[in-house]
This record gives sequence, C-alpha cells and structure tokens, in this order.
Amino acid sequence: MTNINGKTYAMTAITPMKSWKTPILRAFFFLLGHIKPLQAKLVNLSFIHFARWVVVPRRGFPRLSDAQPEEHLHYDYLLFFSNFNGTWNQYIDAFADVLADGLDLVWRWSEKFPRSRPVSAFKRYIALVQFDTDYYYTAYPRATTNDVKAAHRVCAALEDLGKSSRDMSPADFNRAYLQFLIRVQKDLGATGVGPIGT
Amino acid sequence: MAKLNAADIQGFAMRGYTFPVARFVFMEITDAPSGQALLRRVLDQVTTAERWDVKPDSTLNIAFTYQGLVRLGLPDATLLSFPVEFVQGMKARAEVLEDTGVSAPDKWEPVWNTGSVHAWVGIYAESPEVLQRRCKILDDLLSETGGARILHTQDASLLTGGDGKYGAKEHFGYTDGFGNPDFDGADRKSQPGQGKLTAGGQWAPLATGEFLLGYADEAGELPVAPVPHLLAKNGTFMVYRKLHQNVATFREYLDEHGSKYAGGKEKLAAKFVGRWPDGTPLEVSPDRPDPAIAADPARNTNFTYGNDAEGVRCPIGSHIRRAHPRDAFGFNGQLVNRRRVMRRGLPYGRYAQPGEPVSDAEEHGVIFMVLNASIFRQFEFVQQQWIQYGNDSHQGTDRDLLLGKHDHGGRFMIQGDTDPANPPYMCTGLRNFVELRGGEYFFMPSLTALALIATDAVDPR
Amino acid sequence: MANQSGSIYGLTILSPIIDDPKTDISHDCAIRAYLASLPRDGDSPFAVLSSTHLARLVVMDDVIFVGTPAREEHLQSKYLVFESNLDGDLDTYLTRMATEIPDMVNAVWSHCYGYPGTQNVQAFIAYMKKCQIDTTFFFADVNNQTVRSTLRALKVQASVAEFIGSHQGKSPEQLLAAFRAFYANVEKMPDPVPGHPQAPGAHESIPLQKTMAARHG
Repeated sequence: MTNINGKTYAMTAITPMKSWKTPILRAFFFLLGHIKPLQAKLVNLSFIHFARWVVVPRRGFPRLSDAQPEEHLHYDYLLFFSNFNGTWNQYIDAFADVLADGLDLVWRWSEKFPRSRPVSAFKRYIALVQFDTDYYYTAYPRATTNDVKAAHRVCAALEDLGKSSRDMSPADFNRAYLQFLIRVQKDLGATGVGPIGT
Repeated sequence: MAKLNAADIQGFAMRGYTFPVARFVFMEITDAPSGQALLRRVLDQVTTAERWDVKPDSTLNIAFTYQGLVRLGLPDATLLSFPVEFVQGMKARAEVLEDTGVSAPDKWEPVWNTGSVHAWVGIYAESPEVLQRRCKILDDLLSETGGARILHTQDASLLTGGDGKYGAKEHFGYTDGFGNPDFDGADRKSQPGQGKLTAGGQWAPLATGEFLLGYADEAGELPVAPVPHLLAKNGTFMVYRKLHQNVATFREYLDEHGSKYAGGKEKLAAKFVGRWPDGTPLEVSPDRPDPAIAADPARNTNFTYGNDAEGVRCPIGSHIRRAHPRDAFGFNGQLVNRRRVMRRGLPYGRYAQPGEPVSDAEEHGVIFMVLNASIFRQFEFVQQQWIQYGNDSHQGTDRDLLLGKHDHGGRFMIQGDTDPANPPYMCTGLRNFVELRGGEYFFMPSLTALALIATDAVDPR
Repeated sequence: MANQSGSIYGLTILSPIIDDPKTDISHDCAIRAYLASLPRDGDSPFAVLSSTHLARLVVMDDVIFVGTPAREEHLQSKYLVFESNLDGDLDTYLTRMATEIPDMVNAVWSHCYGYPGTQNVQAFIAYMKKCQIDTTFFFADVNNQTVRSTLRALKVQASVAEFIGSHQGKSPEQLLAAFRAFYANVEKMPDPVPGHPQAPGAHESIPLQKTMAARHG
C-alpha cells in the first residue's frame, strides 16, 4: 500500500475552485497563519507530521517547453498534502469530530464539497478527489509525531541530568534521578511497528 | 429523541442480564426452509427489552453470522449491503485485530475453524437447573424442525467466592461490570460517567445510533446499516470472543513486581487496570480502595482525567484509561464518543481462590461480548488502536498490559510522583496474560427483522 | 514566507510529463514503474538526501470531475508532483539532489518537458524553480528539529527507556556509576541511518558495555 510508509499515511487531494473564490481562501489561510489560537486545535490533535495546502491558479501549471501543450483551465485548483499518523478513517473521523468548522472554511470554496459533517458524505468526497502516492519516503518510519516530540523531551531531560550529574554524590543523584523519571515518565513509549492501516 | 420500542429490541442488546449462569449455543443451520421454520418457532422464545413486572427465570436471545444469513436465504442485494468486516467474519480480521501468535485462529477451538457457525443463542438463567430446562426447550425445537444442529456449547457463570456465593470478580481477581455506556432511550438508571461529556462538564447520554441501528449516531447521521431499513432497525452487531486467562502467569507476575513496587502488590494490581480489585476507581481514590465508593453508582464511574494529565493517580496506559479515555485526549472527550462499546461478559471455568494452586492450562477465562452499531468503527478501532497500540495516548507502541499481545516482552509505565508510596515504576517483560480461543461477529436482529427473515419476506430492492 | 515553517522548508514541484504517443511505454508509466521498484527504506535515495524528513512523488494524470453542476475539464499534460519537507534552504537541497542522487533524479525527471539533466547544476536548479509552486499554507508539527537530531533523539529515547527498566531498585552508588557510563555512551553514539525501520518489536538502543551488564544484570 504505497500511501503508507511505517506509521505515516500520505494523503494527496486536488479540488477545483471557481477563481473568484480563491482570494477568499487565501485570506482565510493568511488569518490562520497569523492568529496562533486558530491553529491550536490542529496542534492538539497531534497526528500530523506535515501538511500543506497549495493553490495552483488556472494559469499556474508550469509550462516548460513549446512542445508542451498549453493548459486551458476554467478552475483554480487546491492541492492538499497531509502526512499523518493513524488510519484514513481515523484521520477523517477525528477532523469531522473536532475541527468540522475549520475544515469547512478551507474546502467550502471547492466545487461540490459537502459539509464535513455528517462524515460519510465527506469521506466519499475525499475518496473521489484523492490521488494515490507512487512513492513515499519517511526518514523515521517507526515514529509518529507524538513519538518524535516525546523523544526530544526525553533527550532534553537526559542532557540536563547528564550535565548536572557530573559532580553529584550518589545520594544527590538519587534525588535528581527521581525528578528525571517524573519528567520523562509519560514519554517512554516504545517505537516499533504500528497497526495495519485499514 | 425517539422513545425506543422495547418490544422490538432484543433484551440482550439493551441491558446486561443479572443472571448468574449462561450457556452460549453455536448452531449450523440446515437450509433456508427449515432454518426459517426453526426461527418462526424460536421467535416466541426470544426475550425482548421490555421491562419485567416479574423477572423471568431465564432469557433467550439469538444472533447470526454472515454465513448464517446466507444460509437462511436472504437476498443477495441485502447480503451485499452488510458491512465488510461482518461479511468477512472475525477470523479474516485476525491481522487487523492482531489475533496472531498464541491468539491466532489456528490455535482456536475447532468449532471456529469449521466455517459453519451460523447462529448464536444466548440463554441466561437463575440456576443451573433452570438453564437445563430452557436449553431443553431449544433442543426440542431443533429436533421438531430439523432447522439446525448444535456445533458447540459454551457454559459461563459468575465466579463464586470462598463463601460459595456468586460474586462479581473475574479470574484475575478484579471486580468487573462497571461503566457500560449510557445512551438515549436506554431506559435504565444512568450513572454519571457512562455517557459523554458536555461542554459544561456534565454527563449526557450518547446517541442511540452508536448502539442500535436505525437511529442517529454521534456523527449526526444514521450509521451504515444493511438494507432494507426494516431489517436493520433496532438491530445491532455483536462481537463474541472467548478470552482464556493465564491466571498462574498473571499471579506470578503480580507477585514478582508487587514485591519490587513500593506501593505494594494490591496497588500495583490497581495501577494495571485503573481500578482497585474491589472496583474503586484510582482516579477517585488513588491511595486505597474504598468499598463505599465502589458500591455507589453515583461515584464509581464518575470521574475524568483532566486533572490527572500526568497519570500520577491513574496511569496513562492502564486498562480502563485506554478502553475509555473520557477527556484524556482533550476536546472535551469528543474524539471518544464514537468509540464506545457496550460490554456483556461472564467468566467461565473454576475460580482458584487467592493462594490456591492454579495452572495456565486450566480452562478458565471470560466470555467477552461487545455490542455496537459498527464493529469496524467501535470494537475493532478500540482493540486495534487503543489496546494493541498506544499512539493516541502518547504511549508509542506500548500495548494494554492485560489484553495486549506481548510476544516480545513489553513495557507498562506507571507514572508516579515524589510520594514514596507512589513512585514511577516500569513494569518490564510483560507476558501474554490473555489469549484468544475463538469467536465471531454476529448480527442481532430486532424482533421485526427476525420475523422478516423467518417468513422469507426480506425485500431485495 | 509561506514555504517555510520554523526550520522546515516545504517544497512543492509540479513537473509536466512528456506525452509521446510514439514510445512503447508512455512516460508516465515509465515513471510509475521506476518508482514502484525504488526502495523506500534506508536504501532510498532520499536517505542519501539526508535532510529530507518526509517526501512523496505522485503521478497526477488529470484533475477530477466532481460532478454536475461543476464543469468537466481536463489537463493537457500529466504532472509529476513532488512534495518534500526538508531541513535547510532550497538551493542547498536542489544542489544535493543533482550532485548526490543524480541517478534517481534523472530516471524520474528525464520523462518531463524541458528537463536539463543534473550535469549542469545551475540549469537543474533553474528548471526545478520553474516547476515550483508556492505553498499557500504550511503546517509542521515539529518545525525546529533536523532529521539528524530527530533520529538521534529517537534512539536516545529507546535507550533511556531500556536503562530505566533495567536499573530499578539499584543502590544509589550502582545507579550513579551505571548512569555515568550510559551517558558517556550516548554522547559518543553514531548517527542512525535515515529511513531505516527498526526490527519489529525490538528497541534499537545503545548496547551497554558487556562488563556493565555483567555487573548489574
């Protein structure tokens, strides 16, 4: 299943937009980029490594040579790329459950977008506009974004303990080690093989 | 919110029966005509969800596998409209559920590998004598109609304590039976903590459609259901799993780590599950069990994890926190509302009292049954993502201590603090404490649907 | 700068694929066939292009008709879509593509209109920038760590968990001695290989010295 590498799923989707609606979408993204609290929910869902939206205006498809035919398009296109952890269904369910309004604000400008709730119609739409990946690479296939963040926290805690332990007595170290355990105790999950992406 | 038609819903789907003994009968249906004839006779026997003025001495309910519905002669167009996971059956889903290794289908009881399990009949009774009588009625119907033959029976019963009286404990020594979901129309006293969280932090019932087909679910639509509508409405899907418990291994493990864990053995047992062995939730009473709380329906499931984000009271990977995260994932619990399951279960086998010698090979465990509107979205999801995996709770690939597959050892981290009786402690070298011995996916039709099937009246559209 | 989130750069490339009815195997099929056989793990060319966190290649054969009343329209060419999330700046990344993994780059992009090859790095960079589409909105959950630091962190995490599990109940003296040895090992640890999946179920942790293990079990 080439959409999945390790515990990450590559979703690619393209939807058509009437070109007069594109500036509205750009304005919404501008706000999203500059008003951090709007991104809070996205951050808290914590299963996306990287995601991006790319507007390809109707005259924006690259033309590299005269041999290449010109495009004559009516619509602008919205490309969506997501690199997320979990199954396809889980991902869409989660967004429909907690971020339905935000999703609607992004995709309502795309033609024939049903609302993101109820979720079954939304899933049918995504399946229609989704492209399968021909090649997917991840530098850390056994790590979800939660694992990555936990690993960095553990690293930072270890650094601190390592540096401060240089001149400690065993009794002092014992106390510092307990504090270290308390600091990292939520971040020690193993990074192995994940479940099958159904 | 509609008032539910209790006369149309099978009682097993609406409430857990409080009878001490049960027998589960697995049958192969002969052919469509005689199977339908049998069903016409069985209809009178089926217990509905209507309230009892006088409690009967036994109950009877029935459910079918996909192959059973095929054998009963349902039209192809209807059969094709059933959800994929139900059509495939639980054995084909082994990779998804990680029923592999010691729990792989080739290790299951032979009946599950015949491919002929068509129907499940569940009979609960107030005593073994009454159970025998009710089973005899079923036997008689089978011989009179020739509609099916019994492939296998499974007995189960509440375990008896040292005093010989029935209790609520299961074989590992935990008191079971808390926290079944509360839904609209459940017609049962609801307990705070059983439903879903509202924006104001109160508990409200879940949408009926999470547990019964034909009603709106938490996503604001009718759940995926077979056609015609009348076949699906008031029905539900049931998962049946026979879970063998390695009691000796579990007790050894608890002894070994209980002596190393500064909080002591009983507290360690509590940390595994999230409840003390008597049922007191750790979240409510982290330092000691409290029988008053355990016995109080207003308190024994009434808690959230919002004030315990560090897992210091109830470990993040403990069993009940994994199976029902409540508000632990943020968003006021919204990510959890479509992942709830209704559990019915009864232990089987002899209970070895604490201190009594016991071996893993003994035939004992729990018959674990789950009811939900979508096997894929509810049971399979919880099993695959929250029991056999830990990413949603930020525990990497760590699995549930009790039910998880620990072929390569495994870890369970108990978060703690500076209290010497509550230290951080890592349980290493986890073993397979539970093994699957077999099971299947069933469709439990409403009384109307049973009649439709029994009279070959399902409209193929 | 919409292509940037913290220290991560989001590169989106759309390269038109040559349409030549005279070839035995069409160019888009050739790309697909090549990609299907390319290793995706530690042997991937992107592991060599080690500043790549996550990357994908998609042959997009057409836009989608979503149904009336939307208008049906079609692309005149198929496009190769390349999405990459990387460390550092674009010019460095493109230079490395041309100089460190030219075989893969040529095998894939030689099927595209106007592709100049990797011999002339400047021409290659110019071509890719002509194919580049600016990202409108870019989200990166972790946007301040390089591939190298994340791979090291994951290995350290596994090793720390292992250390904690095997040193419970030790005396303060034993613990301190073991920790000092452990920490010294961590500091000397070699860089893990990108893209490499660990053995299933095992933790790829730093092995403790044998004598330490013998003394502390």
